[in-house]
Amino acid sequence: MSYVSSKAVREVLSNGGGRVGAVLLASILLISLFVVLTFPLDFGTKQWSNPAAWADNPKSAPPVWTSFMSDDPTAEHIILKTTRIASERKEGNLIVRSYALDLEYTSLKSPGFVALSMSNFTYYGKAPYVSLFVHRPDGTVLEPYHLFISGPAPGETSPISRFEETPFRVNLGGEREVISVLSDLYRESYGQTLTRTDIFNLGAEKLLFGVIEDSGSKRPSILPGSYRFRVDFASEDPRDSLHLVKLVVGGSVFGAMGTDALGRDLAIGLLFGFPVALVIGLTTAVAVTAIGALLGITSGYVGGRVDTIIQRTSDVLANMPLLPLLIFFAFVLGQKLIIVILILIAFSWPGLTIVIRSMVLQVKAAAFVEAARAMGASRKRIMLRHIFPQVAPFVFSQLVFLVPGAILAEAALSFLGLGDPSIPTWGQILEYGFRSGAIYVGFWWWILPPGLLIVLTATSFVLLALSLEPLVNPRLRGVER
Amino acid sequence: MARARTLATRGVTLMGVLLTVLLLVVATLGATGLSDKMLGAIANEELRGIRQGLAQTIRDPGEIERVIQERREQLTEEYGLDQPWFFRLPGLLWRVLSLDLGSARTLKSFGGSARVSDIVLERVPNTLILVTSALAITAILGLALGVKLATRVGTRTDRSVSYVAAISNALPSWWVGILLLLVLSFQFGLFPSGGLYSTPPPVTDLGRIVDLLWHAALPILTLVLVTIGGWTFSVRSMVLNIAHEDFVTVARAKGLPEGLVMRRHIIRAAAPPIVTTLILSLANSVGGAILVESVFNWPGMGRLYFDAIMALDEAVIIALTFLFTLIYVVARFILEILYLYLDPRVQY
Repeated sequence: MSYVSSKAVREVLSNGGGRVGAVLLASILLISLFVVLTFPLDFGTKQWSNPAAWADNPKSAPPVWTSFMSDDPTAEHIILKTTRIASERKEGNLIVRSYALDLEYTSLKSPGFVALSMSNFTYYGKAPYVSLFVHRPDGTVLEPYHLFISGPAPGETSPISRFEETPFRVNLGGEREVISVLSDLYRESYGQTLTRTDIFNLGAEKLLFGVIEDSGSKRPSILPGSYRFRVDFASEDPRDSLHLVKLVVGGSVFGAMGTDALGRDLAIGLLFGFPVALVIGLTTAVAVTAIGALLGITSGYVGGRVDTIIQRTSDVLANMPLLPLLIFFAFVLGQKLIIVILILIAFSWPGLTIVIRSMVLQVKAAAFVEAARAMGASRKRIMLRHIFPQVAPFVFSQLVFLVPGAILAEAALSFLGLGDPSIPTWGQILEYGFRSGAIYVGFWWWILPPGLLIVLTATSFVLLALSLEPLVNPRLRGVER
Repeated sequence: MARARTLATRGVTLMGVLLTVLLLVVATLGATGLSDKMLGAIANEELRGIRQGLAQTIRDPGEIERVIQERREQLTEEYGLDQPWFFRLPGLLWRVLSLDLGSARTLKSFGGSARVSDIVLERVPNTLILVTSALAITAILGLALGVKLATRVGTRTDRSVSYVAAISNALPSWWVGILLLLVLSFQFGLFPSGGLYSTPPPVTDLGRIVDLLWHAALPILTLVLVTIGGWTFSVRSMVLNIAHEDFVTVARAKGLPEGLVMRRHIIRAAAPPIVTTLILSLANSVGGAILVESVFNWPGMGRLYFDAIMALDEAVIIALTFLFTLIYVVARFILEILYLYLDPRVQY
């Protein structure tokens, strides 16, 4: 076997296609290794399929690098957070602790959304409250939002905790209070009367970061400069606390690969797809070649009734249309990756068995097999030591060739909506994009990369299999340069 | 005589395929308890019909309930719902064979019928149009290209086609379809984004045919693109194999014109393995059609799969699985017959 593998390596590296395939495969393996080491195992259920994990991301945003290619202004995605108290003062019997978030807004485009979240309030006695202040570059200070923490429920004892696990989160653009504060601001500073509907149509975010320069029009433009978002936490007891304040200014571009309609970071999903694709492809291919070789050699060498049974079964199974059956079983037995792999194995081994049997029939008639038999070698020994080495190169090349087929089959199934929901794959990312109409609105960053990765992974194995061809078919040796 | 026997052997194998698929489907349904649910739903539907009929003739509600209860017990026995699932296998098998699977949950046929057989059968022609035209175009184009390549083996074109052919093995048909949609339909607006006809459809017959072709262009192009590479390459290899035979050299030595040698001696001899490859690529075409129809919203059986998965409609999925297998088996058998005429040696 080691003889075969060292020869295979030499063969692969001896031609261009093989080298390309080997480099591709090496990169895929490295990325997969990185993912396996850094991602949690329950990534699919805990993060990917959990909308709360992605709430702070912009929805359907293209990758950051697209802003270098287009002239349209883009807003950067900014996430600010703090746990540090910037200042503390007393107002009557209230202690006011301030948290400050400073933001340098330079974009010419208004943010997609502005969300404030706070987590883990603890208080003793009277319930505290929170006020938000926005200091704008033009000197105005707004007080657009207040949050009153709910008082103790009957029977609840101090210290009382609120928003411990899921933080309190508010989208400022949709708040009545914010809208009325903005309406006051624009009336007092710019003499503009904006109704609630006007503000809603223009976008409260745009007004919050905006200014009206030309008094004739109602259209605000962006006011660049430094903004300060100050959160004042007011309470009576000095032990009361607020743990984390976070401000998200939603951009129009995000990350290396953009986001999908749920705001999921596609770069992360695509990365996770690497090891998953490899596992699907390799598990299926190894199992299929093992079963196919074992049954093929047995069928060919042992012959008789065993041969007939194996061959008739293979004949029937090899002639079945795979995709409809995959759809049926995945639908009825449940969308589990392991079930998909098992079905792929169940319907793929027969093809290999039939071919290997015919090869074994030729080898069987060779003199060295007869010699081994004459020397009293057992059947098992002959099959393992004399016949298997003869078909090993073919089996090995088939192993490589079966990988892309399995990856493509799983991707097709995922594309039809039958992917395993607990394990994100490239096919599923594409399916969600297709089903939610991403191609109709031109969200190419969501559609192209997952498909391209499927094609690249499959291609790397196809190229490897192709470069192994001379090993299997010695007549081809030296014909092609 | 021998020919008939060979054909019979292939027929038996293919019938075996069909039966195995059916048995697998039915046994899975039984073992997972799905068949109980389905038969129960069919029985309930029948009872609802009876109740409506009775309400017009019998006034006393108690009497109606009694009759209904009696009928329910009858039906339970008739459908074998009182027995374990494996006793019902033959009955269920027959139901799938005759597509007697009750009504779909939410899906409707174009005419508004909810019967599974109506929904599924009206879509068969649409799928057949797609698969057969794509297969025919691929076969003819690939044959022409493959033969051409075989005459200039080793050239740059030949080598690049080999690589393209290999890589097309790694191309998912649905993704190619999406790419074509993105570029040719949404970017340049040359083709419609899906469907069978424009809305509203053209009035004249000729207009309808042109409209249909226009809508079919992208799906067919997709199917052809993903299969033609591999197909051309195998035609080339098979023609090359034959071209080295002695009888070809003899034909040339006799002074026959090259075209005649190619047609009469090489292609004729290479025909059987070429048809075998065509048979093997059939399975891919059937699978490809399911995916490509889903992408292009082509109202065939493949798109119905897509919709039925969304609507969680078991009955439709079972019917489709059976019909796809049936189409595949029938097509295989037709090709086997063709093969027998092409290669008189196949009479084992």
